[in-house]
Amino acid sequence: MSDAVWLVALLIAAAIPAGLYWRSRREVEDLSRRLDLSASQLQSLQLSFSRFAPDEVIERIIADEGNVKGDRVEVAVVFADLVGFTALSEEVEPDVLVGILNGYFERMSDAIAAHRGHVSKFIGDGILAFFGALSRNPWQCNDAAHAALAMQAALKEYNGELRREGLPSLRVGIGVHHGVGIAGLVGSRELMEFTIIGRTVNVAARVQDLTRRLDGDIIVTDALLEKLDPRFDSRPLPASTVKGVSEALQVYAVDGYSGVAPVEAAPISADSP
Amino acid sequence: MSLLRDIEWEPCLLEPRPDPELSDRLKKRFGRVSPSTHYFAPCAELSESIAALNGLLLVRVNVDQDLLDKVGVVVSQDNSCRYCYAIQRAMMFAVGVSDEKLRRLAHEVHTGDLTDRERAAIEFTRRVSRANPLPRRDEARRLEDAGFTDMQVKEIASIVAINVFFNRLSTLPALPPGRMEALPDRWYVKLARPLLGRFIEGMRRPMNPTKLDSSEVEGPFSTVVLATNGLPLARELRRLIDVLLSDGALSRRSKALVFAVVGRALGCEYSVEEGTRIAIESGMNPGSIDEALDHLVSEELSEKEKQVLGLARETVWYQPAPIQRRARQVRDELTTPEFIECIVAASTANMVCRLGAVAVDRP
Repeated sequence: MSDAVWLVALLIAAAIPAGLYWRSRREVEDLSRRLDLSASQLQSLQLSFSRFAPDEVIERIIADEGNVKGDRVEVAVVFADLVGFTALSEEVEPDVLVGILNGYFERMSDAIAAHRGHVSKFIGDGILAFFGALSRNPWQCNDAAHAALAMQAALKEYNGELRREGLPSLRVGIGVHHGVGIAGLVGSRELMEFTIIGRTVNVAARVQDLTRRLDGDIIVTDALLEKLDPRFDSRPLPASTVKGVSEALQVYAVDGYSGVAPVEAAPISADSP
Repeated sequence: MSLLRDIEWEPCLLEPRPDPELSDRLKKRFGRVSPSTHYFAPCAELSESIAALNGLLLVRVNVDQDLLDKVGVVVSQDNSCRYCYAIQRAMMFAVGVSDEKLRRLAHEVHTGDLTDRERAAIEFTRRVSRANPLPRRDEARRLEDAGFTDMQVKEIASIVAINVFFNRLSTLPALPPGRMEALPDRWYVKLARPLLGRFIEGMRRPMNPTKLDSSEVEGPFSTVVLATNGLPLARELRRLIDVLLSDGALSRRSKALVFAVVGRALGCEYSVEEGTRIAIESGMNPGSIDEALDHLVSEELSEKEKQVLGLARETVWYQPAPIQRRARQVRDELTTPEFIECIVAASTANMVCRLGAVAVDRP
């Protein structure tokens, strides 16, 4: 064979491993880029979810540890429900109703967040919110009561807007209770949520029902009042029995706050992490 | 970590005010002046303490550098502090750690791609940093089962606490991260990298244990200070607490109440008790202190104090931009030295409570 043939053979022999090396290097780089992207997306998800569940819970989910254990947490619960919503839903057109409801949810959520609470879920026209569920909050009772007043004030303003548009006004009943709940991931594999369950949540919902029967739009239990700043204007209401609780509950109406307005938490913008 | 660079960050709440006399003093003592020093210069003594603590981020006694780097990354991630991450990135760039390696480091601590020993240390780091709830001392002792000595555990907690301090100190006034973020990409920095690397490697050095003098053992928060005895932090922490709790722009009692409020928020009874004791010593009525701690308001509190305590509670868990907007509201009510003392007090209180993990037994 001539020298030229040897040279070509040699070049081909050298080109094959070089090509393989170049290709595998590109694959590694590509994998590395994808890994970076996945990690960034994972971090982004973690940051977003930290508004809805404690970091530890999110990390356990990411690590796919499956069995996320429940924890007992001290929590203040706000349960709000629109009074007469069923009748309203029959009066106005569906798209108008959805618009009214979304405007209401947005304003209530802002009032709750401004006082360091987080909305756990919307149940029909109801709102379930927790204070102290994601992180320890020794001022959770005051925060919850301030949030309830802020919700009422925000609704008053919203009613003004609704009236100007010729729409019916809304009235909200709010129940607030404080106690121990079980925090954890609840649901099926397809639909799971971080929430608090237990008697404390049920009592808050039942106390909210009392706003239909008693003279008060914000009703709190004695367990909450015990920890409340005395500057809240509260008045006792008749002890009342509620479903699921054997003894009559001593409840109070909260009508306002006579101290200096509390320091609100900084607003969280929509694009905050 | 690239995500940290995308985090919303407000305009800075402090003006840099270089103080030549202070800069000379710091150059003599530490050989350099950190860019953040100028923002705190109106409180010269505090500024000197901050500079001393800053230097401690580079030194180690018993723990290897690689682990300390990971600890720093974890705390920066957890606190979403752009300024701290920018400094860390710039420093690691200088000592030859590429962005890719830094990203890998961030992935490792995120995805748990670690040795058992490292995993134990990182989990402890996260628990101390997040303090939700604050870990107990027996949890710290569990690290010893993973092969760490008592002093190594204390050193890890110290590094976390110092990082937590700087996260608050830079996030609350929104110190501008832009310059530091861009630094590693500048051509002249790239050119000077070998020289810079040597300079920084010289600072990132192992240190011999240092013991406190008898005069430094006594004083406010002595349990926490003593727990770090042997580490370089002990002396600087003593000095920082003493300077901070002297009457300055804000009263001693206001700053003591900040410690008590942060302690109450984090469940650190030690900080609550010490803060309360100092506030009583400063003439405040114990009933008013209880009321202030229970409700963050009291007839005896001034309007400024209500603002300061309102911000103090927010410094425990936060998202950068919202806490910076909140800090801006407080900034408008205070003079510059008052605002600086307020954020240094809140940062120190957060650091002290984290150190409680290795100093205080809880029931």
